[in-house]
Amino acid sequence: MPMKFRIILIGSIVFLVFLSSCLYVVDETQQVVITQLGKPVGKPVTTSGLNFKWPVIQKANYFEKRVMKWDGSPNQIPTRDKKYIWVDTTARWRIVDPLLFLMRVGNEQTANSRLDGIIDSVVRDHVSDNDLVELVRSEGWEMAKQTLQEVGIPDMPSLEPNADSPGGVEPSDHLSKGREVITREMVADASRLLPEFGIHLLDLRIKRIKFVDSVQQKVYERMISERKRIASQYRSEGEGERAATLGRMEKELARINSEAFRKSQEIRGKADAEATRIYADAFGKNTEFFEFYRTMEFYREFNNPRSSFVLTTEADVFKYLKGSGEPRQK
Amino acid sequence: MDWERPPHRGQGPGGVPELEEFIRQLKLRYKIPSMPKGPFWLLGPLFALALVAFNCFYTVQPQETAVVQRFGAFIFTASPGWHLKLPFGIDTVTKVATGRALQREYGYRTVRADIKSQFSEKGYEEQSAMLSGDLNVVNLHWAVQYMIENPQDYLFQVKQVEDTLDDISESVMRRIVGNRYADEVLTIGRAAVAQLARDEMQTILNSYKTGLKIITVKLQNVNPPDPVKAAFNEVNEARQEKERMINEAQQVYNQKIPKAMGEARQLVTQAEGYGLERINRSQGDASRFSEIREAYSKAPDVTRRRMYLESFGTFLERVDRLIVIDEQQKNLLPFLDVGRGAQSGISSGRADVPIPPQAPKSPGQEGR
Repeated sequence: MPMKFRIILIGSIVFLVFLSSCLYVVDETQQVVITQLGKPVGKPVTTSGLNFKWPVIQKANYFEKRVMKWDGSPNQIPTRDKKYIWVDTTARWRIVDPLLFLMRVGNEQTANSRLDGIIDSVVRDHVSDNDLVELVRSEGWEMAKQTLQEVGIPDMPSLEPNADSPGGVEPSDHLSKGREVITREMVADASRLLPEFGIHLLDLRIKRIKFVDSVQQKVYERMISERKRIASQYRSEGEGERAATLGRMEKELARINSEAFRKSQEIRGKADAEATRIYADAFGKNTEFFEFYRTMEFYREFNNPRSSFVLTTEADVFKYLKGSGEPRQK
Repeated sequence: MDWERPPHRGQGPGGVPELEEFIRQLKLRYKIPSMPKGPFWLLGPLFALALVAFNCFYTVQPQETAVVQRFGAFIFTASPGWHLKLPFGIDTVTKVATGRALQREYGYRTVRADIKSQFSEKGYEEQSAMLSGDLNVVNLHWAVQYMIENPQDYLFQVKQVEDTLDDISESVMRRIVGNRYADEVLTIGRAAVAQLARDEMQTILNSYKTGLKIITVKLQNVNPPDPVKAAFNEVNEARQEKERMINEAQQVYNQKIPKAMGEARQLVTQAEGYGLERINRSQGDASRFSEIREAYSKAPDVTRRRMYLESFGTFLERVDRLIVIDEQQKNLLPFLDVGRGAQSGISSGRADVPIPPQAPKSPGQEGR
């Protein structure tokens, strides 16, 4: 019994081992190329599940079926308008022809280094063939300013003229390509070289664009000076408004005061005229008496305690001082 | 005897004699006793059975969805609960947290999530700095909330799904910011940028079949870069300053104008008062004169004389000195030194003092 049991046990293990060597599992994420003594046999297996192969002589080579990531290291590239920028790109690719991939590339690591070479040069070509703004802006840029002006950003009017400062805005807002078009061109160019590796490039994206540090510093400086310009504009606007208000006030004051003066002079003049008319009416009836009357009034109201007068006896009041008191003839 | 083995790895039939040999050697070395008598031999199979049993079921948590593969091929997804499967790697179960809202952060990291969460920005400047369309630099912190909508796609379509999401998120955000003025992004554009980013990311994720669904894209801090911040604040200050200056000027205006208007009214009213007084006085004077004239006309000579003398009397009362000299006396000088020195009224040593010989007929003042 134990001997028989042992034979069965060993036999089944041998059978299982044999079976396992002619079965292979293909995961959903994988695709397989069967090679027979190194030579690819049949079509690549892309459907997942349990599959058969000949043991020993056939070998299953597994490849990734999913979309994979390629991440480039940032490159310092000058743009067409001679601005040095760091460009960081990323791409998605997949193995579309595992057989070709096996023959030309072999594994993912090699594929990545192939992609490095191809994509880097394509990116370099396109970046240095375009202006920086083309890489930054994309479709619809022409609308950006318009919408901005419609919404009315407070600082907007002060942002307008800005041409020759470092990294400054180009005078024209016209966009000939834009980022999307450029990346599409990059994908097209890179894709031209990739089919021979069994690779399909799904997408290539510019992840980051950054000025090199020295330029970055200048950009900061420009931004600061720009803000300072806006700030001083606000200040001078404030001062201007203040001056305008004060000027208006001065004008208003002058108007009010002069109008009041005119009115009062008019009133006074009218009153004076009226008074003159009244006097003339009254006094004109007997001019001689008026003269006498006013003179007498003047004498009566004369008031200067320090004044001295020298009169002769010729004066009417004193006519009796010298005489005898007789009525005398003049 | 390794060189006898086939060149490829994995067990071939060539391994069998070795295995037998191996087992025999093991037995020799550890002196494994032969099977003990009785029911003890059942222990092994029972143990194996238990192992099989434990390998035959799995539980799925409420927030999870299980993806079941048989020999690598996808067969179905299982909802939360207790399920059976085939053991020993025939069926493999991958649980994916489909119910959870997941979050990726860009430009910052939540250090400690709490009621008052702490965030760190250090070391993520590279991620947050981006160029705006007017070639300014803006620091943008944002978070993407997403969930795994399709666990099958999530597992089988893209290799590094989270990395892919990161790449898409960054490139999309940079494209959108690059298509706008820095001022728009910094102020009013936030909501629009977030919405646009969400839609665009979703489109790209769908094209890759990542199985992810973006719930929201939230912009957190949107700032100018640190070296520039002070200048941005200065603009705000200047704006305040402008308002202040305008208000101050308006204040002065409001202080002075109403006062001036009041003063103007005062001036006019004063003039009116003056006018009334003038007219009333003149009327008074006129009527007084008329009365006197009427009385005078009844006895002109006597009245005239009386008025003259009365007036002269009053005049004398108000005068300091009055010197009366003889009409023949021509030299006045000796008299001037009488009493005190020279007084006002006679300033020079002129002999003739212009006393009108007919005082009563001297011209009076003009009608005032």
